[in-house]
Amino acid sequence: MKIIACCKAAPEEQDIVVRDDGSLDFSRADYKFGSYDLNAIEAARVLADQVGGEVIGLSVGSSELANSKLRKDALSRGLDELVVVTRSSVGEDANDSVSDLSMSDLSVSNLDSYQTAKLLADALEQMGDYDLVLCGAGSSDFYAQQVGNQLGALLGITSLSAINSIKPDVESDAEISEAATNIDSVIVQRLLEQEVQCVRVKLPAVLSVTSGINVPRIAGMKDILAAGKKPVKELVALGTPETSTQTISVKAPPAASRKQEIIQGDANESVARLLELASSVLR
Amino acid sequence: MDFKLSDEQELLVENVRELMLRENWEAYFAECDATHSYPERWVKELCELGFDQIMLPEDRGGLGLGVVTLLAVYEELGRHGAPTYVLYQLPGYETILREGTEDQINKVMSYLGTGKQIWNSACTEPGAGSDVGGLQTTYQRKDGKIYLNGHKTFITSSAHVPYLVIMARNADDPDVFTEWFVDMSLPGIKKEPLEKLGLRMDSCCDIYLDNVELSEADMFGIEGNGFKRGIGDFDFERFLVGACDYGTALCAFEDAARYANVREQFGKTIGRFQLNQLKFCEMAIKINAMKNMLYETAWSYDNGNMTSAQAAMCKYYCANAAFEVVDDAMQVMAGVAVAGEHRIQRIWRDLRVDRVSGGTDEMMILTVAKGILRSFK
Repeated sequence: MKIIACCKAAPEEQDIVVRDDGSLDFSRADYKFGSYDLNAIEAARVLADQVGGEVIGLSVGSSELANSKLRKDALSRGLDELVVVTRSSVGEDANDSVSDLSMSDLSVSNLDSYQTAKLLADALEQMGDYDLVLCGAGSSDFYAQQVGNQLGALLGITSLSAINSIKPDVESDAEISEAATNIDSVIVQRLLEQEVQCVRVKLPAVLSVTSGINVPRIAGMKDILAAGKKPVKELVALGTPETSTQTISVKAPPAASRKQEIIQGDANESVARLLELASSVLR
Repeated sequence: MDFKLSDEQELLVENVRELMLRENWEAYFAECDATHSYPERWVKELCELGFDQIMLPEDRGGLGLGVVTLLAVYEELGRHGAPTYVLYQLPGYETILREGTEDQINKVMSYLGTGKQIWNSACTEPGAGSDVGGLQTTYQRKDGKIYLNGHKTFITSSAHVPYLVIMARNADDPDVFTEWFVDMSLPGIKKEPLEKLGLRMDSCCDIYLDNVELSEADMFGIEGNGFKRGIGDFDFERFLVGACDYGTALCAFEDAARYANVREQFGKTIGRFQLNQLKFCEMAIKINAMKNMLYETAWSYDNGNMTSAQAAMCKYYCANAAFEVVDDAMQVMAGVAVAGEHRIQRIWRDLRVDRVSGGTDEMMILTVAKGILRSFK
């Protein structure tokens, strides 16, 4: 089974500085793969270990993806290989032999969820066959939660979100080893507002997993040392897709002064007091 | 000179940080400290990441990463309030691999990855502290067996380790000192736990040996080599105490710095008062000095030329500088530090013990001075 785990490197939240005017300063922030993407990598690894197969990480971004430590970090957490798309060929004829002059860095800050999904879809087409594509619930910066669904639509395959469990669609454990790489569907659980939906999904498919589907492993020291020996492939995107949205500005909300009302005591009275306070604020 | 850690070392450090931030370990440590329990659950998780393989050679299934890497991990663990003092034997397989018989090595290796305490050596006696040569415990050969008799005291970890390497003198030839690899479940061994000011997550006992029957196969190393064996291993242990103390100081220092930036008195944060600023300046200088001394010594170790003076310098300086830093941090945090249950109390108690255990300040001074003066002869 060939599983693709999509992941995005984003600036680390605690290092982002909010300027006085509410604008954000990323200059001191290191990039790291998002914590929700680690759920996708973990789910992919667990499934691949169960049924046999490989897990390939796929990331679209800019120069931050050139960082060797960032790459090793992802590879140490369960990937067999990492594919990065950091540049696109510019010009009308993408079939021309590509020279450095005709390529430009993809600017990560300008990629909206449609562009990201389109670039991932193009990369997947270049990569050949796959059985399953996993995404996290959302990126750790914008958390638009759009890329998984758009990617499925662009690829013309099933896409589902809110996946809280993935199991190979087999009768018994014995069948797993027989089926090996020939699993053609999975049973998933979707965590909806009122119920858990159980779906048999024909592969290939794109699934976006919840942050509760697993606790991503902390890579051991052996995994970290092995990561540097795993392959990283760089793909060149065929042009940069048109944007579908326009960002006017990104600003942090002004810090509100807190009321510092601390409710203590009996549960019933506390709830009543909380309700009173909340409704006075929301009114 | 390049102070930058490699990608792999940085990732190790980051992952150790992730482990430390995944749960509120402080509550667990506080409980272990109060009940004198070894924090096995935490050590096990650390070993699952490969902590006990850092210094283990590759041909024994380890990673052989060296002491600079080990120090970077100690630094990060200490920064997050972890009791690194309980870890001292896990990077110390070299002793067992060098001195042990295959059977002894296998016994110790079977604990790899478990996080359990495995062994420690036992020298100190009521009449033999810094003057180890004064020890009275004897071994005597009789009918093809060896019988161990005596009384050891202040033996770290001894309540729970399955093995102790016990130093004794030959009853029939008292100038011959030999070590014995002793299974602590043997008849004739009695343990009496001792109360302790600090380092309470590790045990400390009096050990009484009453005709403990051993065989020749239980000898650890070579007969008569007891004192010589210890020197290099003591040096490594002394370095580790320094590393542990430095990390611990970092924890208290950072707690105090964060506190000084938010605690307000007389209308401003207390970090803006010059008397506190003097403390932060002094603390930072000591932290910086400890860090540089330790990393340089670690680098020397990895290059095969750490001296006894360097190791003793690390232990003496770091145990004292760390204590001063923590004491200042405590002063900055004032009521919060001395009342209630802040971790700085535990850290303060722990550090005070390190000026005595593992070689007293006074013995470290002698070692440093001897090493320095010798190079001018």
